[in-house]
Amino acid sequence: MTFNPLTESGIPLDRQARSWRELAVIPLDPDRGDPYTKCRVITMNGIEVESVLFSHQFARFCPEPEVKRQLAEVRAIEQQQQKAVNWLLPGTASVLETTIEYEQVAVDLTAWVARSEPNPYLKQAYEFGLLEDFDHLYRYANLYEMIEHRAAEKVVDQLTEVMPGRPTHLHHRHPADNVRDPYDRHTTDPISKLHALTIMSAEQQTMNFYMNVGPEYMEPIARQLYQEIALIEEEHVTHYESLVDPGETWFERLVTHEYNECYLYHSFLEQESDPRVKAIWELHLAMELEHLRLAAEVLRRHEGRDPEEIVGPHLPPVVRFEPNKTLIRELLATQIDLTTLGAGYVRDAHERFQRWQTQFLGDTPPPSEQVITEHVNQYGTDYRSQSEGEHPVPQLATPGTR
Amino acid sequence: MSEAPGGVSSSTAVVSGDVVDLLREQHARIRDLFAEVEAADGEARRDSFRRLVRFLAVHETAEELVVRPLSRRYVDAGDAVAADRVEEERIAKEKLAELEELTTDHEDFLPKLAVVRTAVLQHARAEERYELSKLRRADATDELEAAARALRAAESLAPTHPHPGVESTTANVMTGPVLALVDRVRDVVRDAPGRHPS
Repeated sequence: MTFNPLTESGIPLDRQARSWRELAVIPLDPDRGDPYTKCRVITMNGIEVESVLFSHQFARFCPEPEVKRQLAEVRAIEQQQQKAVNWLLPGTASVLETTIEYEQVAVDLTAWVARSEPNPYLKQAYEFGLLEDFDHLYRYANLYEMIEHRAAEKVVDQLTEVMPGRPTHLHHRHPADNVRDPYDRHTTDPISKLHALTIMSAEQQTMNFYMNVGPEYMEPIARQLYQEIALIEEEHVTHYESLVDPGETWFERLVTHEYNECYLYHSFLEQESDPRVKAIWELHLAMELEHLRLAAEVLRRHEGRDPEEIVGPHLPPVVRFEPNKTLIRELLATQIDLTTLGAGYVRDAHERFQRWQTQFLGDTPPPSEQVITEHVNQYGTDYRSQSEGEHPVPQLATPGTR
Repeated sequence: MSEAPGGVSSSTAVVSGDVVDLLREQHARIRDLFAEVEAADGEARRDSFRRLVRFLAVHETAEELVVRPLSRRYVDAGDAVAADRVEEERIAKEKLAELEELTTDHEDFLPKLAVVRTAVLQHARAEERYELSKLRRADATDELEAAARALRAAESLAPTHPHPGVESTTANVMTGPVLALVDRVRDVVRDAPGRHPS
C-alpha cells in the first residue's frame, strides 16, 4: 500500500520536544554534497516558518481556549523543527551563496509544481512566477562573481542554468495586477491546494530573508539589488496567496498545513542522499503525522468533517528536486513577454503597468540592470552558466539589450 | 576548473580591486584548489596538493605581514581582532602540518584534508566578516592600495596552475621547501613599493 498520512501513526506529542543539545545540529558542508540537499533544507525551513506564522494567526482569531492550547503545544514543536532544519545551513557559506540557493529552490521547486499542476489557470501562475525567479538567480549570480569572485555554477552545480529570464525591471507591476483568482475548494483537485501552499510558503520565506539580510551588505549595488528583488518577492507572495480559496475555514487550513508538511517530509525522505539530513526528515515526518492526527481531530470535533474531504484519500506522487532545463527553455521561448492585467495575463504593456513602471523606475537603470552593466565593465561580459547551449530568446543571447 | 559557457571563471578573471577584493578572490581560489586536490588521483593529486600548500603558505604569510598590521592600526579593538585571526591561522596550520605527514594516497588523507578545509574556510570567512569589512571603512586608501600591490607580488610566487614562464624564473622557490618560499614572500612584501618600513 502507498503511504497514507491519515492512517499512519507518529510520535505522541508529549514525546516530541527536544533539548537544546539535540537541536544543535552539525551544519552541512558548503562546498560538498548535493545542492538539492540544501534546496530541500531551504524549502522545509520555509514550510516550518509558514506553519508557525499560520498557527499564530489562527490563535489570534481563535476564541476556544482548548484549541489555543493545542495550537501552542504543536507550535512549540514546529519552532523546534524550524531550528533543526534551518540550522543545517553552514555559517561558512556567505549570505549571497544562500541567496543563490534560495533562487535555485524558487526555480526548480516552482518548475516541478508547474509540471505537476492539473489546473491550467494555476499552472500558468507557476510558469509566470518561475521566469521571474529564474531572472533573479541570474542577477544575484552576477553580483556574486563581482563581490566574491566566484562562479555561481559552483553553488548550483550545473543542475540549474543561469541566464536571463523575464528581465527583473519588468516585474514591478501595479499591485492590483498581482491578485489572481482562487481555486474553488469544493471542486479543485486536492494536489492544487498543496501546491499553492508550498510555493506561497517558499516565496514568503524568500521575501522575509531578503528584507532582513539586504541591509547587512556594505556594497551599494548589493544593498540596492536586495531591496529591488525583495519588493518583487512581496508581489510573488500576493500572487500565490491569492490562488488559495479564501472560503477555507481555519480548521480546514490547519489540516491542509499539517498534511502538506507530511507530504513534503515524506517526499524528501524518499529522495535524500545525505544520511544525516534524511534522519531529520524521517523524525520530522513522524512528528507531523501526530500533528495531522490532532488537526484532524479538532476538525471533526468543531466542523463534523473528515480530513479526506479536504485533502483527498490518497497522497499525491512525491515532490522531487531535479533539473528542469527543458521546461525553463520552453517557457523562456514562449512566455518571456507576459505581464498581468487584473487576474489574467497579457502581452501588452498596458496603462496601469506603464504607470507603475514609470513611478518606480524613473529614468535611470535600476539595480537589477546596473549589476549586469557593472559586471560587464569588470569582466568584459555578464556571468551565465548555459549548459544546454545558446539562450532560447535571441535578443537575450548577449547582455545589455534593455 | 570548469568554465561557464559565455561566462568568466573566477580564477581566470582579471580583477582590479583593492586589497579586500584581492583577498576575497584568493579565498575563492583556495576553495577551488581544495576541490582540485579532492578530485585528483595519484601523481595529479600530489601535484595539486603541493600547489595548494604553497598557495596557502604565501597567502597566510602575506596576510600576516600586510593585513594584520593594518587591522591593528585601523580597526577598533584591532589587536583583539587580529589576535583572533592569528589563533585561527595557528589552528589551520597545525592541522595542515598533521596532513602533510601523510602521503596523498594514504587512506586518512581525504578525511584529514576535509578537516583542514573546514578550518581554512572558517578562518577566511571570519576574516571577511570581522576584519576586511572594517578595513574597508578605514581612511587608509594609500595603504590599502600598497597592501594590494604587496599581496599581488607575493601571489606571483605560488602560481595555482602550472605556468612554465613563472616556474622557470622561480624554479628554486617552487620546488624547494615551503620555508624558503615563506622567506621569499617576506622579501617580496618588504620590498613592495609604497610599503611603510615596519
